[in-house]
Amino acid sequence: MSETAATVQCFFEDVEVNVPLETPGITLTRAHVALFSGITGEAGPEDPNTVPGLLPLCLSSGLGWRVPRPPLAVLAFMGFEWRFLAPVRVGDTVHSVSRTITKRSMREGGVVIEERSIVNQRGETVQAGKLTLLVARRPAA
Amino acid sequence: MLSYGPVSGHSGPFFEDLTVGQEFISPGRTVTEADIVIFAGLSGDYNVLHTDAEHMKSSIFGERIAHGLLGLSIEQGLASRGEPAAAHGVLSGLKWKFKGPIKIGDTVHVRSRIAAKKDGPDAARGLVTVERELVNQRGEVVQEGETEHVVERRPA
Repeated sequence: MSETAATVQCFFEDVEVNVPLETPGITLTRAHVALFSGITGEAGPEDPNTVPGLLPLCLSSGLGWRVPRPPLAVLAFMGFEWRFLAPVRVGDTVHSVSRTITKRSMREGGVVIEERSIVNQRGETVQAGKLTLLVARRPAA
Repeated sequence: MLSYGPVSGHSGPFFEDLTVGQEFISPGRTVTEADIVIFAGLSGDYNVLHTDAEHMKSSIFGERIAHGLLGLSIEQGLASRGEPAAAHGVLSGLKWKFKGPIKIGDTVHVRSRIAAKKDGPDAARGLVTVERELVNQRGEVVQEGETEHVVERRPA
């Protein structure tokens, strides 16, 4: 069977522990803040250059698709712990650095625990935490 | 100048005004296909779970589901409409579980309770921990966890 777009994924078996994965960066703009405020419905901050804390985290999930590794075959995002360490401002450029710290096989697939940091253009870690993901097994050929 | 409210500075509620055990219920919000499409575009997360209706017909969910972080973002917005820690504090930490899917057309609201108060990063601010549940129209808790907020103390 040739590989179609649907089969080029990183399955549970392919996940390597302790290999760092660094994404490209993304520059935070007022447009991001306006779109995000529209989604949340949360009143914008008094300072229009303040980036809501959850926005860089949300953007990091998309940045994770822009790395040399094929996208992770995520069946479900189970939970996470997260710290907001420093403010993010409009004009900052952030990227994310992640690595799998644990993988555990289960009947339906496997649980992967990923450590992730969001880093700004000065190399400061602005947010960090651990994410728990349920990842699919490679389907039988 | 005509003013409809405080034009500068923080007018409370302050750290002192929040009591452990206080509970809040947010308004509801119906999650739409448009919410999911916009969130995929903004975040860049185009996982088939959220974007491929045909693929999802054969999944355990039977249809596209909202991104977990979209549910959390909607939760944060709903909580800010009434819960003073969310409305007036800065989010400093989260422990969060995604327990069930949010499907297109589901209506969710937030139940929250102030769980703890402690000293903050400096004398002017305290830390407030809030327990929150995101509940759908059938009363099922689809997401839950704890949020931590830095809230200003009343100026001396």
